[in-house]
Amino acid sequence: MTRTMQAMAGLAITALCLWSAPAVAPAAEGPRAVVEATTDAVLGVLRDGGLTADDKRHRIEDIVYTRVDFDTLSRLVLARNWNTLTEAQRADFVHEFKRHLSLTYGKSVDNYRNERVAILSEREEARGDWTVKTKIVRGGPDDIAVDYRLRQTDGTWRIIDFIIEGVSLVSNYRSQFQEIMAHGGAERLLELLRDKNAKGEPLKS
Amino acid sequence: MTRLVAILCTAVLASACGPPVTRGAGTSFRPDYDPLEPVNRKIFWFNDQVDAYVLEPAARGWNRITPDRVQRSIGNFFVNLRFPIVTVNDLLQAKFREGASDVGRFAVNTTFGIFGFFDPATSWGFEEHVEDFGQTLGWWGVPPGPYLVLPLIGPSNPRDTAGLVADSAAGVTPFFVDRFILLGARVAETINIRSLMLEEIEAAESGSFDHYSFVRNAYLQRRNALVNDSTEAPASNGNDLYYPDLDQE
Repeated sequence: MTRTMQAMAGLAITALCLWSAPAVAPAAEGPRAVVEATTDAVLGVLRDGGLTADDKRHRIEDIVYTRVDFDTLSRLVLARNWNTLTEAQRADFVHEFKRHLSLTYGKSVDNYRNERVAILSEREEARGDWTVKTKIVRGGPDDIAVDYRLRQTDGTWRIIDFIIEGVSLVSNYRSQFQEIMAHGGAERLLELLRDKNAKGEPLKS
Repeated sequence: MTRLVAILCTAVLASACGPPVTRGAGTSFRPDYDPLEPVNRKIFWFNDQVDAYVLEPAARGWNRITPDRVQRSIGNFFVNLRFPIVTVNDLLQAKFREGASDVGRFAVNTTFGIFGFFDPATSWGFEEHVEDFGQTLGWWGVPPGPYLVLPLIGPSNPRDTAGLVADSAAGVTPFFVDRFILLGARVAETINIRSLMLEEIEAAESGSFDHYSFVRNAYLQRRNALVNDSTEAPASNGNDLYYPDLDQE
């Protein structure tokens, strides 16, 4: 089971990275600058001893909400299924999915143990997206590789995927949601999301 | 020694399956390919029960009585024992620099690191490498085959299962160590690892909607990344992943 655990741990640790992104961005910021500003701002909040865990969660939420392109991320997660949703369902999905990520990863605010983020390199992808490679520094073999995929919309670079040790968040959620939509359709998926968010905690499917 | 020969023979056989140019089994990567899903789901459920009723409680008990530092040291000890596996597979993938580094790593951690309980090697520049025979087969172009969930072991595929068998032959198992002690060591190792990951696994379980597909996807992506020695989302998957509308036309 060791390997499962490794893979799962990698994904779960998305926590620290997803909570990575800041407020107002000047239009000229390139992908690397966006990732840098994002991680700096989040680390700043995490390190602020004067804030309660709740304060931290809210501030990080603000940062992440401006830095991550949740519309695109949601569309990528649903892939082909996106086209089968009505306008209202789409808006609903983006809203609930955002909320879900916030609830899931917000919990790990308390798990911050002085990790740093090192920005390693950046690269342009085939159709104009950029990937910025970073590493969460926890000491030696415990470092975690996190790549950010960014896309430019209306002149602003925003994050559309997090790839943790080779595991893409978009791909991972896509697999899960495809399974759910194949059996219960969009309404079932939205229902699961709403339930889970309402409870603010796990829900076994 | 006979074991090493056996491994090398297997490697030669494996190399006959495909040239190294098609690294990572050039076929397009599909993080959902699972023709055996009905059976796999049952075994997954079984493993989950074992985890919930045996492994996790044991790990929680262990975690309560053992400081994190000690758990990490024990983890280091077992990782250090994987040295022959890692090194053999470095060499089988023509990663000679890594192989040399891993020999140095083992020497440093076994001596200065006191039998591997500490890891001074990393800070001296001998970075840890994650290699196993499943990755070696992948590097030589052997496709992974369908996703498999093995009882007690968990996510795998035919390639990685073959790798697992070869790896266990390369592990440190001196002839004078009783097999029950070895079994005990395996159990201790597993409980210790589980204990180090209590929070992460809980977060993963509570964060997922369909835990089975969560684990499957994470395993397949992660193994693919390891075979390609890359932390990136697979390129062959890029179009479908980031431009899902393109391939509809």
